[in-house]
Amino acid sequence: MDIVFQISLFLFLLILGYAIGSYLEKQHYKSIQQREHETLHVPVITIGVKQAMPNAEQAQLFVGTVVISIDYFKRFSAALRNLVGGRITVYETLLDRGRREALLRMKTDAIEWGADKVMNVRIETATIGGRSGDNNSLGSIEVIAYGTGIK
Amino acid sequence: MKFIPKKIPEDINITKRHPLSNLAHLLGMVIIIGVIGFMLLGVAANLASRWISPEMENKIGNRLFDMVAENEIKDEKRIKYLTELIYSLPKKDEQIRLPLKLHLIKSDVINAFVITGGHIFIHTGLLDAVESENELAFVLAHELGHFQARHPINAMGRSLIFMIATNILNFGTNVSVPDILSLGSNLYFLNYSRKQETAADLYALERVVNRYGHGGHTMDFFKRLEKDEAEGSLVKVSEYFSTHPLSKERIDRLMLEAEKQSWKMQGDATSVSNI
Repeated sequence: MDIVFQISLFLFLLILGYAIGSYLEKQHYKSIQQREHETLHVPVITIGVKQAMPNAEQAQLFVGTVVISIDYFKRFSAALRNLVGGRITVYETLLDRGRREALLRMKTDAIEWGADKVMNVRIETATIGGRSGDNNSLGSIEVIAYGTGIK
Repeated sequence: MKFIPKKIPEDINITKRHPLSNLAHLLGMVIIIGVIGFMLLGVAANLASRWISPEMENKIGNRLFDMVAENEIKDEKRIKYLTELIYSLPKKDEQIRLPLKLHLIKSDVINAFVITGGHIFIHTGLLDAVESENELAFVLAHELGHFQARHPINAMGRSLIFMIATNILNFGTNVSVPDILSLGSNLYFLNYSRKQETAADLYALERVVNRYGHGGHTMDFFKRLEKDEAEGSLVKVSEYFSTHPLSKERIDRLMLEAEKQSWKMQGDATSVSNI
C-alpha cells in the first residue's frame, strides 16, 4: 500500500509539475516576446574600452532582476540527466527566460526614465538554494541585468 | 550609424526538444542501467553473505534482537513445547546451523518470523489461531526453512548493499532519483521474498510429512486464512499476506509437490498440547 501511495504521489507531482510548469512557461514566453517587441526601439549596447562613448547629458544605473524556480518535472528530468550526463535541455528554457526577463525589466525601467540607449550591459546569475547539501531545498535562479541608461 | 531595430530571433539558446521525449529517453537509459546494476548488486550481495561466519551471524542476530525485542513474554512452558516441536522437525542427518532461540510475542496479529542468528518470533495470535499441532509444525518448519537456507542473512546483505548504493547515488544527485530507486528495490525485494517463501514452504511440507508420516491437516491453517481473506472478515491477517504469497497459490503449489513426491496427504491431526 505504501509503495502504491508513493508511486501515485510521485506521478501526481510529476504530472502536476509538467502541466502547470509548461503552461506558465508558455505564457511567460508570450509575454516576453510581446514586451521585447515593444521595447525594441531602445538599443542595448556594450562598448569597448578604446571606443568613444556617445555624448550624453544624463546617465543612470538601471538594474533588472528576476528569480525563477524550477518545477518538479524539470527537477526530475535534470536529476536523471545528472546520472548519465549531457545537455540539460529543460534548464535551458529556464535560464533563457531569466535572462530575457531581467533585461526587459532593466530596459522598461530605463525607458520610463527616458533613456535613448542603455550602455555597457552586464548579465549575472546566482543560484538560490539547491545543491547545498540539503536535498529538499528549492532550486531556483536569480538573473541580474544592469547597465547605464543615457539621455 | 543609425540604429535599426530587428526582430530578436528565438531558439538560439534553447534546444528544440520536447521535454517529454527528453524524459522518455532519460528514463529508458536509467532503467536499463539500473536493472543491470540491480542484478549485479544482487549477485554481489549473495556472494558477500556467504562469507559471514556463524559466529558473526550470531552476533548480528543478537544485536538485531535487542532492537526488535518488544512485548516478549517469558512463558517457559510454551517456549519449551515450541522448542521441542521445532527441534523434532529436521531430518536426522540435518544440521541446524545455529542454536535456535524462540521468542513469544504478545500480539493479536497472526504472524511468525525469523531473523538473522536463529531468533524465531511467534505471535500469540498464531498460537490462538492454530487448531492442531500439524498446522503449527508447518509454520515453524517454514521459518526453520528460511533460516536453514540463510534467507535472513541474505536479505540483510542485500538491503545493506542496496542502502550503500542508494547513498552513493544520493550523494551525486538531487531528490527524486533515490526515491525511485528505493521504490524499485522494494518491489524487487517483494518478488525476491516470494521466491524464498515458496522454497521455505516446500522445505516445511517435507519436514512435516517426515515427522508425522503424513501431510494431513497441515494445510487447514492456510485454508482458514484463505477463507478469511476471501470474506475480508479478518483485517489482522493482512500482515501475513504482505510478505507471504496468497494462500490459494500456496496450497495449490504444495499439493502439486505432494503429488509429485507421492506424499500421503491424509491422516489424523495431532492435538496441540499445553498451549
